[in-house]
Amino acid sequence: MVLEATMICIDNSEWMRNGDYNPSRFQAQADAVNLICGAKTQSNPENTVGVLTMAGKGVRVLVTPTSDLGKILACMHGLKIGGEMNLAAGIQIAQLALKHRQNKKQQQRIVVFAGSPVKHEKKMLEMIGRKLKKNSVALDIINFGEEDEGKTEKLEALLAAVNNNDSSHIVSVPPGPNALSDVLISTPIFTGDGEGGSGFAAAAAAAAAGGVSGYEFGVDPNLDPELALALRVSMEEERARQEAAAKKAAEEAANQEKGGETSSQDATMTERASAATSEAENKTIDLMDDENALLQQALAMSMDDPVSSHDVKDTDMSEAPADDPDLALALQLSVADGAKDSGSQSSDTSKLLADQSFVSSILASLPGVDPNDPSVKDLLASMQDQSEPEKKNDDKPSDEEKK
Amino acid sequence: MSGESASAIQKGQVDLLDFIDWSSVECLNQSSTHSLPNAIKQGYREDDGLHLESDADEQLLLYIPFTQVIKLSAILIKGPEEEGPKTVKLFSNKEHMGFSNVNDFPPSDVADLSPDNLKGKPVPLKYVKFQNVRSLTIFIEDNQTGSEITKVQKITLYGTTVETTDMKGLKKVEDH
Repeated sequence: MVLEATMICIDNSEWMRNGDYNPSRFQAQADAVNLICGAKTQSNPENTVGVLTMAGKGVRVLVTPTSDLGKILACMHGLKIGGEMNLAAGIQIAQLALKHRQNKKQQQRIVVFAGSPVKHEKKMLEMIGRKLKKNSVALDIINFGEEDEGKTEKLEALLAAVNNNDSSHIVSVPPGPNALSDVLISTPIFTGDGEGGSGFAAAAAAAAAGGVSGYEFGVDPNLDPELALALRVSMEEERARQEAAAKKAAEEAANQEKGGETSSQDATMTERASAATSEAENKTIDLMDDENALLQQALAMSMDDPVSSHDVKDTDMSEAPADDPDLALALQLSVADGAKDSGSQSSDTSKLLADQSFVSSILASLPGVDPNDPSVKDLLASMQDQSEPEKKNDDKPSDEEKK
Repeated sequence: MSGESASAIQKGQVDLLDFIDWSSVECLNQSSTHSLPNAIKQGYREDDGLHLESDADEQLLLYIPFTQVIKLSAILIKGPEEEGPKTVKLFSNKEHMGFSNVNDFPPSDVADLSPDNLKGKPVPLKYVKFQNVRSLTIFIEDNQTGSEITKVQKITLYGTTVETTDMKGLKKVEDH
């Protein structure tokens, strides 16, 4: 129940003659306008809606904001198509019309139909956007029709400049079998901000869809709203999960490389193992090769126990955010410790760790780790303490003081 | 100036809070989370933690209509030292003002707020310019440090009502 005054900017340029939206772009747009007007006036009895055209001989206000739905619908008849759309002038005149609204309590909103190329500079649109924001006007953009270079980008820049608390929206509607108004009805332009859809929108959707089997999941959202919601939520979750998996795989691949470097073990073995693991990660996305990947992973593990066990350890830990320098250091240390335990290569590793310059050069090469950081220096010193007793106990304490 | 302002609120001048027509009060460029009532409504404005904040840039435009004609003598604007308003322009009886036409009219008065004013010292206005005020538009042009956000903790208007326009009182007499 938002109390608002809305100005709808119609695109009636020559581009609207195109028939890629059923029955023509202009008719599809007119249907959508009628629907928006209905939804707005019914969501609150004090809401007002006005209409203006952006093309033709110039921007023309057809109806100043009114709550009389008949007036709005009547003005849509007999509109002439012609000329080119002037988006900037349209928005500014809409803002002027909203400024002089009778009821100052109404929120201001502009709904723009942009179906033809946008010839204005991006900067100019952003400037207008900021002006709208300053005057607390919200903006909804319906991006349809012509798809020339930079149109979407420009409109999104305009929206970003206006947007305040997510009160403004942009919807891109590609041509297709669904009517423009049917697509719009499930967007935030109709459902409002977090209201979960007004009764009118639902009813209109039912009427518009009547019998057409164009539902998203083959389920009529009006017959079983809970099922539809559950389907939509699970769809979103699945998408988020897939994104996270892809991100994790990329991170792990990066980590494997790092781990292989620092532990300085049998290079070919490590490489092979890490390659197998990252390959496996890639393949888990492709569900068909899932088992094959597991098999490969198992093979890699059975090839060389100590090496691959490090890799497994690495894999587990790299789930934590890798941008923490302390954590990176800790990971690295644990890898080094593991190497020490694994017997045959232990002496090599401890020698390497004892080599201050080598360790610090590795640390310097790690992203986000500063070898001159006091905490890192402390750790290095303590590390040396650990490794030195293995060689000989009577080392000079001056080493510690130096650090 | 400072000598005057000590006695800015003369005898008979009252807080005009009760005569504000709340249904039409408007504020442009306010942040939705820190809105005008925080600075102007009884109870909210006494709390320094609640403040009015600008959104896109440092300017604010307040439109305050009154339920009856008033005379305005002084204004108090309280704000933090850094982000408190500096140049404040006042317009009487100008409706439909926006940021675009704010410079089209000469202001009835301009107040340059000092840190003292921001701590709660009222600013005396040109009394003769505000003798017949139905609505007041306050344009906050910039703030003390020139930062992006302006904060206002409290706005109080001092003045008197014009007795003859007390319509409510007249109606009551007719009813009896």
